[in-house]
Order: sequence, then structure tokens, then C-alpha cells
Amino acid sequence: TEFFVGVSPEDESYYKGLASSTAIKCKDGSKKFNKSQFNDDFCDCPDGSDEPGTSACPTGKFYCKNSGHAPVVLFSSRVNDGICDCCDGSDEYDGKTKCPNTCWESGKAAREKLRKKIATYEEGVTIRRQEIEKARLTMSKEEAELQKLKDEENILKGLVDKLKETKEEEIKAKDIQPTQKDIHDNIGAEDQPPQDSAENNHESASKPELGVHSIEDRLSNDGAAGDQDGSAQNAEQLGEDSTSGGNAGLDTGNQDENVAEDTESLSKEELGRLVASRWTGGKTDEHKEEFDASQSKDHQDPTETPNEASYEEDVGYISDDDDPRYDDDDAGNEDHVDDFDGVDHYDSSSSQRPESDDELDFSDITGTSGSSWLEKIQQRVKNIFQAVNFFQKPVNVSEAAQVRKEYDESSGKLSKIQSRISSLTQKLKQDFGPEKEFYSFYGQCFESKQNKYVYKVCPFKQATQEEGYSTTRLGSWEKFDESYRVMQFLNGDKCWNGPDRSLKVRLRCGLKNELTDVDEPSRCEYLAFLATPALCVEDKLKELQEKLESLNKDQPKGPHDEL
Amino acid sequence: WKKDEFRNCNQTPFCKRARSRKPGSCSLIAADVSISDGDLVAKLIAKQSSQENSENQEKPTKPLVLTISAYQDGVMRMKIDEDQSLGPRKKRFEVPDVIEPEFLNNKLWLQRLKKEKSEIGSGSISVAYLSEGYEAVIRHDPFEVFVRESGQNGKKLLSLNSNGLFDFEQLREKEENDDWEEKFRSHTDTRPYGPQSISFDVSFYEADFVYGIPEHATSLALKPTRGPGVDFSEPYRLFNLDVFEYVHDSPFGLYGSIPFMLSHGKSGGSSGFFWLNAAEMQIDVLGPGWNDEYSSVLMLPSDQKRVDTLWMSEAGVVDAFFFVGPGPKDVVRQYTSVTGAPALPQLFAVAYHQCRWNYRDEEDVHNVDAKFEEHDIPYDVLWLDIEHTDGKKYFTWDRALFPNPEEMQKKLAAKGRRMVTIVDPHIKRDESYYIHKEASDKGYYVKDATGKDFDGWCWPGSSSYLDMVNPHIRSWWAEKFSYENYVGSTPSLYIWNDMNEPSVFNGPEVTMPRDALHFGDVEHRELHNAYGYYFHMATANGLVKRGDGKDRPFVLSRAFFPGSQRYGAVWTGDNTADWEQLRVSVPMILTLGLTGIPFAGADVGGFFGNPDTELLVRWYQLGAYYPFFRAHAHHDTKRREPWLFGEQNTERIKEAIHVRYMLLPYFYTLFREANASGIPVVRPLWMEFPADEKTFSNDEAFMVGNSILVQGIYTERAKHVSVYLPGDQSWYDMKTGTAYKGGVTHKLEALEESIPSFQRAGTIIPRKDRFRRSSTQMENDPYTLVIALNSSKAAEGEVYIDDGKSFEFQQGAYIHRRFTFSKGRLASSNMASAALGGNKFASQCTVERIILLGLSPEPKTALVEPGNHKVDVERGPLVLRGGSGPSVLTIRKPNVNIADDWTITIFITSLHISSSPIPKLK
Repeated sequence: TEFFVGVSPEDESYYKGLASSTAIKCKDGSKKFNKSQFNDDFCDCPDGSDEPGTSACPTGKFYCKNSGHAPVVLFSSRVNDGICDCCDGSDEYDGKTKCPNTCWESGKAAREKLRKKIATYEEGVTIRRQEIEKARLTMSKEEAELQKLKDEENILKGLVDKLKETKEEEIKAKDIQPTQKDIHDNIGAEDQPPQDSAENNHESASKPELGVHSIEDRLSNDGAAGDQDGSAQNAEQLGEDSTSGGNAGLDTGNQDENVAEDTESLSKEELGRLVASRWTGGKTDEHKEEFDASQSKDHQDPTETPNEASYEEDVGYISDDDDPRYDDDDAGNEDHVDDFDGVDHYDSSSSQRPESDDELDFSDITGTSGSSWLEKIQQRVKNIFQAVNFFQKPVNVSEAAQVRKEYDESSGKLSKIQSRISSLTQKLKQDFGPEKEFYSFYGQCFESKQNKYVYKVCPFKQATQEEGYSTTRLGSWEKFDESYRVMQFLNGDKCWNGPDRSLKVRLRCGLKNELTDVDEPSRCEYLAFLATPALCVEDKLKELQEKLESLNKDQPKGPHDEL
Repeated sequence: WKKDEFRNCNQTPFCKRARSRKPGSCSLIAADVSISDGDLVAKLIAKQSSQENSENQEKPTKPLVLTISAYQDGVMRMKIDEDQSLGPRKKRFEVPDVIEPEFLNNKLWLQRLKKEKSEIGSGSISVAYLSEGYEAVIRHDPFEVFVRESGQNGKKLLSLNSNGLFDFEQLREKEENDDWEEKFRSHTDTRPYGPQSISFDVSFYEADFVYGIPEHATSLALKPTRGPGVDFSEPYRLFNLDVFEYVHDSPFGLYGSIPFMLSHGKSGGSSGFFWLNAAEMQIDVLGPGWNDEYSSVLMLPSDQKRVDTLWMSEAGVVDAFFFVGPGPKDVVRQYTSVTGAPALPQLFAVAYHQCRWNYRDEEDVHNVDAKFEEHDIPYDVLWLDIEHTDGKKYFTWDRALFPNPEEMQKKLAAKGRRMVTIVDPHIKRDESYYIHKEASDKGYYVKDATGKDFDGWCWPGSSSYLDMVNPHIRSWWAEKFSYENYVGSTPSLYIWNDMNEPSVFNGPEVTMPRDALHFGDVEHRELHNAYGYYFHMATANGLVKRGDGKDRPFVLSRAFFPGSQRYGAVWTGDNTADWEQLRVSVPMILTLGLTGIPFAGADVGGFFGNPDTELLVRWYQLGAYYPFFRAHAHHDTKRREPWLFGEQNTERIKEAIHVRYMLLPYFYTLFREANASGIPVVRPLWMEFPADEKTFSNDEAFMVGNSILVQGIYTERAKHVSVYLPGDQSWYDMKTGTAYKGGVTHKLEALEESIPSFQRAGTIIPRKDRFRRSSTQMENDPYTLVIALNSSKAAEGEVYIDDGKSFEFQQGAYIHRRFTFSKGRLASSNMASAALGGNKFASQCTVERIILLGLSPEPKTALVEPGNHKVDVERGPLVLRGGSGPSVLTIRKPNVNIADDWTITIFITSLHISSSPIPKLK
């Protein structure tokens, strides 16, 4: 075996050619080498094929058998470099470094790990299958529901239109009965589709002129206070305020200039902080700043809050609180390790929980009780119309009130149905993966606490970083990437001196959904890992099982020294 | 760059005053010229008969004392100070601890003084011997000091006060109407001692250009700052400053200061001038014709080409050194004989360094290390910036991020890799911080003008600054680096000194107030530029102490001063990721080399901003030839480790790093040369080709040692690159082996894979072609010798080898071989100094491959002696990496020991028809 130092089993036949012929070609065909040039510690082939067992060729590869463990192919730079790379020690044969054979132990550990991983996968594959089945059922249910809702919407819409017509006729007929003002109010309200009016309310409520004022006030305060030589604490407060004020979106671009004009009037400490912040990007004030920035963003963009609110309503109907799939006492949850060389040790807590939204009550329009309510409405409206038609004019006051009441009720229901339709449509158009394995992610958020931050990842929605009461948006849902192994969140809150924040969530097989290892490898570009049964795919399980089999094959040989 | 936050010359009263003086306004004459204690001494007194010059009335009339001493090897030292016997108000500050003690032992005892009639003016001159071929001269009236070639008609080399701009503001008592305070922005400098500046003109003869006086982000050949055709320019400022986002092409002062200037001219000659002074300095380079309107007053010789300069300093004394050259290498050697030899770095420090603000935690460190392994990219050192500390308290660890620093370092050390942590001079004012506690208890901080501990703002917030000028404080500081004191440190941990200008975020010009007080009542203004030097010194001494004097220290410093070369490396500070900053890195590093600091580099990739991929790759390709090769990045930038830009770019960066590792034996040999002679590792072309005028202002290409020329590519998507190859010999492309004619500018295709580099014909370069995880594992790897033959089919080169870490080389534990090739025979001979006994260091390394460039016809075999065995000569690749490269003549496996005497003779087949079969090798 000495002859075949560094040679992989597949290559043995290639090198056997050396025994029969005077010279064989380098693998790339560029040159020839003979037996004496093989592994003679001099690089003849540019592709390194004459030196599989030495470090002579920079492109060479060294194969170590590692009986008892898995074979490894090393860069030739590792051969005789004084560091034991192969567990069988075969990469260090120049006598300068003693490498004990550790293949048996480490192979055992590796096999154990692999076995555990396979166990996780086996269980995970089952969970995944169940999930997919469940998703399929729920989705078809939802699709059916959607269809049914659409039909109902059609009918109800007709009724509502009719009622509205009748009501308007009544009003015309009543002529003088209501005061001028009432008519105005009523017509005003009724001309608007109901959900729009709700949104208007939202909008006016969330358009706090106050917010803008307060920023301006702060800015003008800064100007005034800059001349004062307040106590250190005061000064610090001011310094922060002025930074955050500048960042509030009013004058971000000119912040430097403003500040430059100001430096002469700053206190010593403010000046120190200011100059430091050039390098750190205002790092010391960052969180406050971000908080303010996100607040002011709300001030500036009043549509965002209502949108957000309506989204929450939309997803509110789901509740997985008592879902048995995610039993926290799951015995298998110790080993959600995905990496073979697993270095996964989390000290972070991770949890998932549904959005705690106030649920809209759909009980009257959903459920198996079917359309009995619709039939009832239809019947009632029919009755009303019969009465109305019968009496023609003048209209009885109590009947007019009934029409109005019926109209209010029906249009209310219609708007509920429409909002349900839109939320279902919204949901069903998402990309839940080739087998809808990510269906259950919809409406869920996964949390992980790391030091002082709580990271919250809501697939199909957004990801945030929370510290106390301050929330920083790490990104909005973008898409799955890398063949559904990564979730992308883009266009989060702006970084002071960097790109918009973004988050990549790498998915790996685990028995329950668990967010771990949130990290910021590059400024404002976050990376997290999510263990999930959705990634426990059968192909990978097979691959692992084959790997284990091949490891076990070597087992009987037991520990022995290749040297 | 916040221009407004820094003073310009007009806002700096001493500079404004000096700059507005008119040529010929100096009224001093030299009197009582004599020899005393081996020195030439004189008194400078105001001329009596000058009633017409009203300016004189205001001048203090106390005489100044002038002393001129001569030292071996062509160094003249001239001091001018107030007369201590007349009881000046205060002893003016002279910078201690810079001049090499050994230099002082080389003083020549002047014996005789010749008097001659002055060719200019009415009076006489006094002449003393300086060195073989040179004389030191004082002209009495008007007063002028110069060095000339020996003899009455000897050409002038260097002179002081030829333009009559000398001025020395003597300390005096404050008078009633004096307002000595100076205000700049919100800061007030109390200036308790009033005006005390010094200024004078220095002229360099036979000079086309002057160089030196770092640190400025500007061209290598210093552009004139005044004179006809020069747009308004600030003088070159020497004032150590932490400049945020500095701009290129500016005379503005940066992090370090070396008041040493060299000249060079067509004659091939160089001279140098060094003013040992640590106060703020401003230097004008005066363009030709600047003083034309005064020519009748000055009566300067017109037959010699000359560059005039004006030197201005806020305080201190005149302690000036004149270096006679005659060659550029001589001038640098002479300068480093005064300020000290560059330290020989450990081998690992010469390799590649990976840095970022910040590698955040142990896992990050582990992952970055693992990625280098995964991509088989070598690196030697991983760096931790300020965030590794607990609240920016140096010598501490953020235990949440770095719970097991020792283990982390040991893991890296197991692969032969080191770690560097940052230690800055600002100390957090935190009662619970032991360094602060001790320093404040012992009174080790710099004091403010009122005598309290100076309190400034830096990374940790409120901070004080150790007074490193005090030797006791330095040795106290040095103790802090012991393994016991620096908890979490291990023998593989080294140090980075940043912010040592010192940077004070809320101080005037982001530094310490000039009226702050140091040990011995020295004002900060008097030693500002040396503060960082003392801090660097104290830290390096700490690492030496830590290793019981056995381990060479590695300390990187941002601030520097003459002498910093003895303590470690410097880098060019917070540069920016743009092409112009890539370009300016070359003149900046070359200038540092010329002024005694060979171990210098710029942050590869650019500190601020995100380099696009092409720029990053180009930066690696150039940075691989920086003497100090480190990638670094600001914490707001995207990650930019070598593997993040796609496979192809990873390959290119890897290739650049591999080039550096391949050339490590050559670089290390050059570092030893620098250590022995002061001659820098990377050199301007004119240092190697002093008579080639075309090289004088070329700062886009440079020499690595005397054998390699590197041409950077500084533009985006360059299609072509022009390379001027100096001299009359050929140059060989180091990638392809193609020969190019010397003395010609070649327009070459710009390759994406590499920047042009050439081996000069007539040289032999030692390489190690095997790549490892780090330089540590290369120790026993065999050598490749690349012989580039000149037109006489000859070449020579050398290699220096030692243990790469200890000081034992100073006792002779090293191998130093000379290789010469001529008449078909390569010989290795011993270059090691016999005085030290030699042979104290052994190496098992062999030579595995010898490459011959420029040889024809082709030999087939070579004879190795002793041993008398024949080896094959065949065609093989010039570089092993990158697939099948061009094939070049290769002597296969001579396997001689690198440390031995041997010869290898090649046989040209056409001449030597050998019947003996080619011996088979094992």
C-alpha cells in the first residue's frame, strides 16, 4: 500500500498503468510521467496527478482511507505540514509529526451522530408528510370556501344593491321627513363602500399632526439649547436628540452639514460623541435612533398602519395554539442537528406563536352550518320587498326602518365576506413550496432571543428585531431562495451608514419549527437558522442512510494503523 | 474630510509668520567660530550695522549657540539653541530616545578649522572635515551652513539659510500687551510660553525632486507648494492627526510625521536632511523661480540646479542632520544610522493578515478560519478590533462574545496562526478598570493646562491618556502585556496600537490640546508628533518582556515618528475603497520606506466604503507586494473575505495571496537587508536606477528589492497598462517568463488574473512554491530558485534564513547565502558574517527546482557538486499554480541543501556530448 500513498480507490487502476508501461499520461494529458516520477516529491503534472501522496503539486489531492471512519480527500497543502488532518494519520508520514489513529473513536462518534440525524430525519419525514397532507386538506377546504364565499358574495351583493335602491327611493319619497342634515349624513355615509369608510377613520386617526410637530419642536429646541452649557447629562440627551431628529427623515442628507455648523457650540462631550460617531455611524445612539426613525416613518406614511392592521385581521382566523404537532415536550427535540459535523449548540430560546390578533368573528358566515344565514337573509329581504311592493307609497315608517336595518346588516355581512375573500385569495396565492410543505408557516411567527434582542420571523410577512419597546424591521417577505432552503426578507429599516436591513433565514431539518443563531455577519445583513420538519426530505434521508451504511461497512476492520 | 476642523497655515500663526518672511531677511551672522570638544561651534548674533532694517529692532539680541558635529559615514549634525549660560526662561524641548546610542559613538573628533574667503558676500567661511570627499562649512556673514564636496571649488550639496529665511523666536517674559492665547474653533490654547517657533530654508543641490516627509496622501516626488505656476497650496504639514476620510493628493498632515527629506537628481546623486523635532511642522517645497525677485540680494550660485525648501516648526530646537549620500541607498542608510535600524519582523508578520472591524465573537473567528481552510487560502494572522474588549477597556475581553480567548488563540496556534488584538492609548475613566485605577493613583496621565488629569473623549467615552514620554510609565505599561497581567493572552497573541496620534475626539483638531502637560513640564505642543512613537515603543517593549526577550515583538502602529521602525509596522490608516486611494497607497508606502519605515502597508480593499469586486481583486494583487499585507474593513461595510465574490474572484484573490507566500523567502531576505542597512523592502524605481531620469517621478510602479518590478493597475476595466522598464537589461514577466527590453515603455494587455510583475535580468529570486495553511508549515519546504540571466548570461541573488521568531539571529544564528550564476555554473556561497561564528542555525531545506530564464541553447543535464551527480534539465512550468503555464528551462530535483556550499553546472548538449545515461533518481 506504500506505493499508493494518497491514491483514492477509484484511481488505483489509473496508477497501475505505471507498472506495465514506462510512462503514463498526466490526467489532463499535458505530460507524461514514469514510475520514478510518481510520488517522488516533485511536481511534473500541472494537474498534480503524479503526486497524489506529497505536497509537491499545489493542485494535488491526497486521499486518506480513514478505516473505521469516512475517507477524506485533502488539499496537498496538508500533506506533511505537521498537522494531523486524517484521523488515520496517513497525511503525516515524514516522521516529524506523530499522529495517533483516532478513526475508530471519531468514526464511532460520527456514526452516532449520523444515526441521530437519521432518526431526526425519519421522524421529520413523517411529520413533513403529515404536514403536507394537512396542508392539502386545508387548502382544498379553503379553496372550496373561497369559491362558496364568492358565490355568496354575488347573491348578497344583489340583495344589498336592491335594498340600497329601495332605501334611496324611500328617502326620496319621504321628502321632508328627515332634517336636511340627516339626509346629508346618510347619503354621505351610504355612498361610500363600508370598508372604505373604516379605512378613512383609520387614516385620520393615524395621521398625527402632533408627530411632525414634535420633531420640529425638538429640532428648534436643539438650536436654542446648543448655546447653553448644560450639565453633561443634558448635553448627552441633546446630542442624541439632535442625531435622531436629523435622522427622522426630515433632513437626513444634510445631517453632516448641520452638525458641522454646530460643532463649535457643542459641549466637550457632545463634540467627542459627534466625532466618534463619524467612525461608528452613531453606533452608540443607534437603537434610539432606529426607534425614532421607525416612529417617524409611521408619521410620514399613514397608510402603513392601517394596512398592517388589516393584514393582522386577515390572518387572525388561524389559531394553532393547541396544535399537537408542536408539542414542546417532544422527546426528540434534543437532536434537530442538521450538519453532519454538527456544531449546533444553541443557548438561545426559540418559540413559535401565532399572531395574537383580535379575531374578527366570522362564526356567522363561516363553518359547516353553511348558508343557512344567507337563506334567512334572502327570506327576510323577500318578505320586506313583498311588503314594500304591496304598499307602494306612502311607506310605513316601521317598514322603512326595517329596510334600513336589513340593509345595514347585509352590507356588513357583505363587507365581511369580501374581506375574507381577499384574505383567502391573498393567502392562497403565496408560494408554499413544491409540496405546499410551508403552508403551515402562513400566519406564524418564529422567535428567538439573543442577548438583549428578540428576533421575530413571520414568513410571508416580515421579520423584526425587538429590544424593549423598540422594533427594527429587518425586512419584508421577499421569497424562498436556493431551492426552498432559504427565506429572504428584504427592504427592512434603513441603516445609518449601510444598506437597508435584510435577513436570510436558512432552513434545516428539525422536528419542530425553531429559530436559532440569528447573526449579523455583515453590517445590517442578518442571517438566521430555522429548524423545521419541512426540510426533512426523503432524498436526504436516503443519502444519510447510505452514508451510514458505507461507514458501517468499514467497521469490521476495526482500528488499525495504515502506516 | 472635515477640512474646516483642521487648521491651515493662515490659521496657524507661526506658519503664517514664517511663510510671509522675505528671502534675505535673516540678519544673523556667525561669530566666534571655533573648534571645541571636537565640534565646530559658533555664536549667531544679530548684525550690528543694520539700522536701515527696522525689523531688526524687535529681534531679541541674545546670541544663539550653534554646534556642528561630524559622524562616520557622511552625517553632519547641526544644533542651534538658546544659550543656556544666559539663563533662558525655559529649557526648550529636545526629543530624547530617538537617536541610536550607537550613532553617538561614531562621532568624529574635529581637529582643524580652515578659514577661506567667501565667494559670496564680503566675509569669510570656516571649513571643517566631514567625511571622505565632503566638508562642513559655515559662512559667517550672512550666516549660512552647508556641506560641499571637498576643496575650495567643491560643489555645494546641501545648505541651510542660503535664502536668509532663518528665524528663531527666543523664549521671553510675557509683556503687558502680549496676547499669547490662540483660539481655534471652540478651543483655546493658553500658550503660557508665547511664540517660540523656528523656521529656515534648506537647499538641495543637483536635485530634480525632493521626496520624503511623510505622512501625506500625495505623490512620491513632492510637488512645489509655492512658486511661479503653483496654485495656492498649503505647505506639507507634519502634525499627527486622526483624519476622518482623508483625501488623496493633499499636503495635509496625517497620522505620522517624519521630518526627513531626500533629494535626487540627474547626476544620480541624492542627499538628505532630517530635523529632529516633535512639534508641529510645516514644510514648503519652493518651485523654481520662487525667489527670483530677490536674486540680487541672495547672490545664489546659478550654475547648480537646486530645490529650495522652507521648514517651520512651532517649538523645540534646531537639531538637524545632513546626509551626503552620494546614492539614494547611502542617504537612507545614513538616516537609519541616526534613527535606528528597522526591526526584523517575525516571518509570520511578513505573511498575510486578515482583519475586520470587527470579527465579532469566537464563532465568527472560527468560521472565518474555517473558510480559509475550506478554500485552501493561506493566512497567518487574524485580527480583533476594539469590539472584542469589555467596554473599550483594553486588556479586557467582552466575555459574552469571547468567553474563552485562550482556547480560541490556541486553536489558531495549532494551525500555526496568530492573533492580534488592539490596544489603544486612551484609558477609560472608570474607577473599576484596573489600568485607570493604577494610572490615576500613580499620576501616570498627561495633565491638562491646569495640572489635572487630562480628560478627553475617545472610544470608551471619557478617557485619559498615559504619559508615555516618561520611561517609568513606559516600563509600567510594558508589564501589562505579561501573560499574568493580560488575562486571556497567549504567546501567539500580538498587538495593534491605533489612535495614538493621539486621537481625542473632542480635542482641537481631534487631538490633544497643545498646552497639555507631560512629564518634565514639557508641553504637548513640543512633543505631539512623538506621542504615538513612545506608545508604540512601550508596547513593543512589553511584548519583548513578555517573551523573556526571546520573541520578536509584532506591534502595528498608526502614528509614527523617526525611530518607529525599531518597534514595528505602520499602516496608512483609514483609507477609502476607491481607485485613487489604491493608487496613492504606493507613493505613501514608498515614502515610508525612504524615510526609514520599510514595514508599511495600506488596508487592502480600503477601510471605508465597499470596494467593487474588481477594485478588491486589484487591491489584493497590489497589496500582495506591500511590505505589510493586511486586509481590513470598516464595520459598516459588507463582508469582503476572499471567498465572497464568486469562484473566479476567489481564485484571483487566492492567487494574489499565493504570490506573496511563494515570495516569502525573498521578502524575508529583504526585511533582513532593511534591518542591516535601512534600505527599504519596496523601493522607488530611481533607488535602483538612480541615473534613469524617467523613473524620478514614477510612483505607479515600484521595485520589491532589487529584482522585482511591480506595476499596479489603478483604473477600472483597464484594457491596457503601460509599464516603463528601466535600465538596459531585459525583464522577465513573472507569470509567463516572456522577456521585455529595458529602457522602454511597454504597452501590455491588462489581465484580470494579475498585475504586471517582472524579474530583472541578472537576478536570482528564492521562492517556496508549496502552499500551506500559513507560513509556519512552510518552514521545511524546499526552495525554488529563479535565475534570470542578463546579457552576459550571469545573475546573482541571495537568501536569508533564520528561525523566523527569536533574536538569536543577532548572535549569528542564521543562514545567509549568495547565489551567483556565470559561465553556465550556479554557485552557492556563504554570506554570513564570520565575526559571529556562523553555523548556529541549521536548515534541512533543499532546493527542489532551479528555473533558468534567458538561456539558450538548452542544456539537458546538470552536474551537482559536491556529490558529482547529474540531474535532468527539462522544460517545466514557471509557476506551478494555474494549470499548464508556459514552460521554462528547469533543473529538476538538484536537492542540494540550502545551507551548503555547492555548484551546479549545466551542460549545453551541443557542446558537451555526454554518453553517460541520465541517472535515475529515487
